[in-house]
Amino acid sequence: MARNLLSSLRTLASRCLAPFHRAALDHELDEELQSHLDLAAEEHRRRGLSPEDARIAALRSFGGVAQTRENIRLHESFPFLENLRRDLVYALRQIRRSPGFAASVIGTLALGIAAATAMFTVVDHVLLRPLPWRDARSLVILHEGDRTGKGNQDVPWLDIEAWIKRSHSFEQIAYSGTISGRNYLEGKNDALAISGITVSPNLFSVLGATPLLGRSFISEAPSFAPGKDNATIILSYSVWQTAFGGRASVLGKVVRINGNPYTVIGVMPRGFSYPWNTGDLGQVWVPIQLSKDDQTRSYSAMSYEAIARLRNGMTPETARAEMTAIQKTLAPQYTDPDLRKDHNTVVLERYGETLVDKDLKKALLALLAASGVLWLIANVNVTNLLLARSTARQREIAMRRALGASGWRVVRQMVTEGLVLSTASALLGIGLAVAGIHLAESARPIHLNLDLSARVNPAILAVLCGLTVLSALISTAWPALVAVGAPIEPALKQGGQQTGSGRRHHRMRGALVALEVAMSLTLLVACGLLLRTIYTLRRVPLGYRTDHILVASLNMPSWRFSGRNMVADLYNPLLERVQHLHGVQAAGLMSEVPLGQTFNIALTLRLNGNDVAARLKPVSPEIQRIFGFPMLAGRFFNSSDTPTSEPVAVVNPAFARLYAPDKHDPSSLIGTKFWSTRRNVPAHIIGILNNERQGTVAEASQPEVEVCLCQINPQATIYGPATIAMDLAVRTEQPTAQMIPEIRDILRHASPELATATITTMDQIVEDSYGSQRLAAHLLEIFGGSALLLCVAGLYGLLAYVVTQRTRELGVRIALGAQRANLLWMVLRQAAVMLLIGVALGTGLAWASGRLVRGFLYGVNAHDGWTLAGAAVLLLASGLLAAYLPARRAAGVDPMTALRTE
Amino acid sequence: MEQGKSDVLQGTLDLMVLKTLESMGPLHGYGIARRIEQISEQTLSMNQGTIYPALLRLRQKGWIRAEWGTSENGRRARYYALTAAGKAQIARETQSWERVAATMARFLAANTGS
Repeated sequence: MARNLLSSLRTLASRCLAPFHRAALDHELDEELQSHLDLAAEEHRRRGLSPEDARIAALRSFGGVAQTRENIRLHESFPFLENLRRDLVYALRQIRRSPGFAASVIGTLALGIAAATAMFTVVDHVLLRPLPWRDARSLVILHEGDRTGKGNQDVPWLDIEAWIKRSHSFEQIAYSGTISGRNYLEGKNDALAISGITVSPNLFSVLGATPLLGRSFISEAPSFAPGKDNATIILSYSVWQTAFGGRASVLGKVVRINGNPYTVIGVMPRGFSYPWNTGDLGQVWVPIQLSKDDQTRSYSAMSYEAIARLRNGMTPETARAEMTAIQKTLAPQYTDPDLRKDHNTVVLERYGETLVDKDLKKALLALLAASGVLWLIANVNVTNLLLARSTARQREIAMRRALGASGWRVVRQMVTEGLVLSTASALLGIGLAVAGIHLAESARPIHLNLDLSARVNPAILAVLCGLTVLSALISTAWPALVAVGAPIEPALKQGGQQTGSGRRHHRMRGALVALEVAMSLTLLVACGLLLRTIYTLRRVPLGYRTDHILVASLNMPSWRFSGRNMVADLYNPLLERVQHLHGVQAAGLMSEVPLGQTFNIALTLRLNGNDVAARLKPVSPEIQRIFGFPMLAGRFFNSSDTPTSEPVAVVNPAFARLYAPDKHDPSSLIGTKFWSTRRNVPAHIIGILNNERQGTVAEASQPEVEVCLCQINPQATIYGPATIAMDLAVRTEQPTAQMIPEIRDILRHASPELATATITTMDQIVEDSYGSQRLAAHLLEIFGGSALLLCVAGLYGLLAYVVTQRTRELGVRIALGAQRANLLWMVLRQAAVMLLIGVALGTGLAWASGRLVRGFLYGVNAHDGWTLAGAAVLLLASGLLAAYLPARRAAGVDPMTALRTE
Repeated sequence: MEQGKSDVLQGTLDLMVLKTLESMGPLHGYGIARRIEQISEQTLSMNQGTIYPALLRLRQKGWIRAEWGTSENGRRARYYALTAAGKAQIARETQSWERVAATMARFLAANTGS
C-alpha cells in the first residue's frame, strides 16, 4: 500500500516538474526515437535490405512515431500545466515588450495592495491578535459597578474571598494590584523605572502562562501570614534584559525595589505582559501580601483587579448571572453609601475585549475600509489600462482565435497575464507596506503597541494572496471577456487600430473613470473632514499658553524620602535650581499639566450639602506665570501662601458652575470654606480660574480643585498622592535642545531615578492629545492623495488613448476646416462629463459613508457641504488639468502627418 | 486510462519490460522491444513504439532509471536499468500474476470438466 502510494507520488512529482524542462524532454524524446529507428534500420540492412527499404521496415515495425510522441508528451506531464507554462512565458514576453505599460499596472496595483495589506496588518495586530495563552477566550475580568451594571471599580479582598467561596462559574479567580507609588529597580549607580505589580500566587496558572526561566509562584490558600513566596519576584523579559543583560544567573539574586529586597525566582517569556499594555515600563511581579487593609470594605481597603478562568461550558452570561446574585448579598456590607453605590454589581467582561480602546478600534476599522476603497480604485484603474490594451491587441487575439484557440483558452491566458502582473505588484506592495508600517511606527502618531518581531502570520499572508488573486480576476475579467466577445473577422480585416466596437469601449472605460472619481471623492471628503477636525481642534481656545514651555514628567522615588518632607527636601530645592538656570523665566510643579494624561488624583467631598467629585491638583504658584492661566475671579496662589499661612484652594469654572451658591455668579464661591490639606483647618477658595480644556482638547473640563504645593506636608491626607508623580513645567526662550540636558542634569542631582524622565514641549503634548484623529487624518491624507493621483492618471490615460486612436479623424476634421479651439473643447467636454458623473456619484457615496467618520469629527458636520465642495473642486480641477494635455494634443494634430500615419 | 483488453495488456507489458531488464541488464528501448518479440515468439502482435509509453510510466514510478550511453555499434542510445524498487515490484507482480493465472487455469479446467 505504502509502496503504491510512493510510486504514485513519484509519478505526480515527475509529471508536475516536466513543464519546467519541456525543451530538454522534447529533445531527448526525439533523439531516443531516432536512435530506435536507426538501430532497427541497421538490423534490417544487415539482413540484406536496401537502406531505403530498411528505413521503411523500421518505421513499419515501430508503428506511429508521431502518435507515440504525442502519447508520451501527454503522459509526461499534465496538459493544463503545459498550458500554464506557455501562458506564463507568453505573459512575461508581453511584459518585456511593453515595460512602461507593465510598470504602470504594477505600480498602481502595488499601491492598492500595499495600503490594504498594511492596514490589515495593523488591524490584525491591534484588534485580532489572540492572546498567547491557553484558551484565552475563557478569561474574564471582574470589576464592580453601580446598579446599572456600569463601572470599573477594583475589588476589595473581602469580596474576592466571598466570590472564591461561593461562585461555581470559574476554575479559579486570581487578582492583582500594583506596588504603591512609582517603582524603581535599584542598580549599583542608577535605578530603572519599572511597573511593579502585586499578584495572587495563582495568577500565572489562571492565565496559563509559564516562566521562561525558573518557576512561578506556588499556589497556596490566601492567608494573612507571610506566604511561601514572601519577598520573591518574577521579572519580565525586558527587565531581565535591561537590568541583568539576560543572564540566567539572575535566579536567586536579591534585587531591591523602592528599597525593599526581593529574591528573583523566575523570568517570564518575551511578549508576556499582565496587565496588558502598561506603556514603556518593564514589569515585575511580586506576590500579594494580605494585610489589615484587606479586612474592611471601607475607603482604606486595598482593592484589586480580578481575573478568572471560566469553567468548561460556562459563558460570561451565566457567570454574570451568578455573580450578580452573589454581589446582591455582599453590597449591603458596604457601610458607606457612596461605596455601596459603586460596588453594587459585578461587571464582567472577556479579558480580550477590554484590551482595545473602543475609539482606536473604530478608527482602525474605518481606515481599513478606506484602504479597501483605495485598493478598489487601483483595480478599476488597472481594469481600464487593460481594457485599452486589449483593444490594442484585438488583432493579435483575433489571429489566435482564427488559428483555433478557444475563447476560454484566450480568457485563461489573459487572466494568467493578470496574475503575473498582480504577483509582481504584491511583491512590490509588501515592500511598500513594510516601509509604511515602519514609517508609521517611527512617526508614532499614536501608540499602537505593534510587536514588530512577529509581523507576518498566516492571516496576513492569506489576505495578501487573496488580494493578489482578486486583483488579477477583477482587473482582467472584463477586458478578457470583451476581447473574446469581439468578432474575429473585422478585427483581422482592419488595421487593428480603429474598430467598430471602439465607441462602446470608450463609454465603458468612461464609466470606469467616473467610478474611480466617485470613490476618490469619498476618500477625499473623509480626509477633508478629518483635516478640518484637526484644524478646529487646534483653534479651540485652551485658556492657557502652550508656547515655550518644557514639561518633564517625573515619577517620584518617594521611598527614598520616607520619614522626610518631600516638598521641603526634594520639590523646593529642585525648583530653586531650575529657576536659576540661565534663560529660565519661570519653573513650577503641577501634579499633571493640562492635557498631560499622566496622573490624576480624584477628590470626593461634601460642600454646601452637595456631593462633590473633582480632580485635585497640587501646584506651585509659578504655574500661573508659566501657563498664563487667566483668573475669572479672585487670585492664584502666590508667595504669601506658605506652609503656615491659612490653607487656600483655587477651583476651575466647571467646579464653580456646579457648586457655586449663586449659579450665575461663579465668584460667589470665593471665600467658601471647605476641605483642606491641613487637618481641622478648612481652606478658603481664593480664586476661580478661567480655563476650560484640561483633560482633552475636544471636551470641556471636569471640575477641578487646585491646592498650593507648599501647603502640603506629610501629615496631609493628600501627601501620599502628591509624592507619586509631578510634572515640572519650565518657561524658557532658550532652544529646547540646549535646555533639556541642563534640566536633566539638575534632575539627576535631585535623585538619580529622575534622570530618565520624559522631557517634551507643551506644544507636543497638545499635538499628541489629538490621538486617533491625527492618525486617521494622516493615513487618509495618504489614501486620499493616492486615490486622487490614480484617478487623475486614469483619466489622463483614457483621454490620451482616445486622442491617439482618433488622430486620423481629428486630422480629417482639421483638414475640413474645424476650429482647433473646438477640438480642445471637445476633449475637455468629454473629461468634464466623466468627472461630473463621478462627482455626482461620489457625493452620494460620501454622504452614505459620513456615518463611518462621524465619531472622529469635532466642530464639523459629517455632511459638511464646504468639505464636499472643496473635495469636488479639487478633483474637477486636477481632472481637467490632466485632460488638458491630451486635449491640446488633439487640437495640435497636424492634418498632413495624421493622414499619412494611417 | 485505457480500458478492456489493453488494460491487461498494459500491465503485462510493464511486467515484461521489468522482467527483460532483470534478465538482460541495462538495455535501450529497441533492445527491450526486440527481446520481448523474441521471447513471445511472434505470438504477441505489438508495435515497437508502444514500448515507450510503458518505459515512461515505469520511470515515473521509479522502478527503472534511464541513462544515455553508446550502443554496441557506436550509436547514442538511452539505456534503461532496473532500480531496487523495480526489483521488489517484479517479485510482487510475479506473485499476483501467478495467482491470477492459477485461478484462471482452475476455472478453465473446472469448466471443461463439467
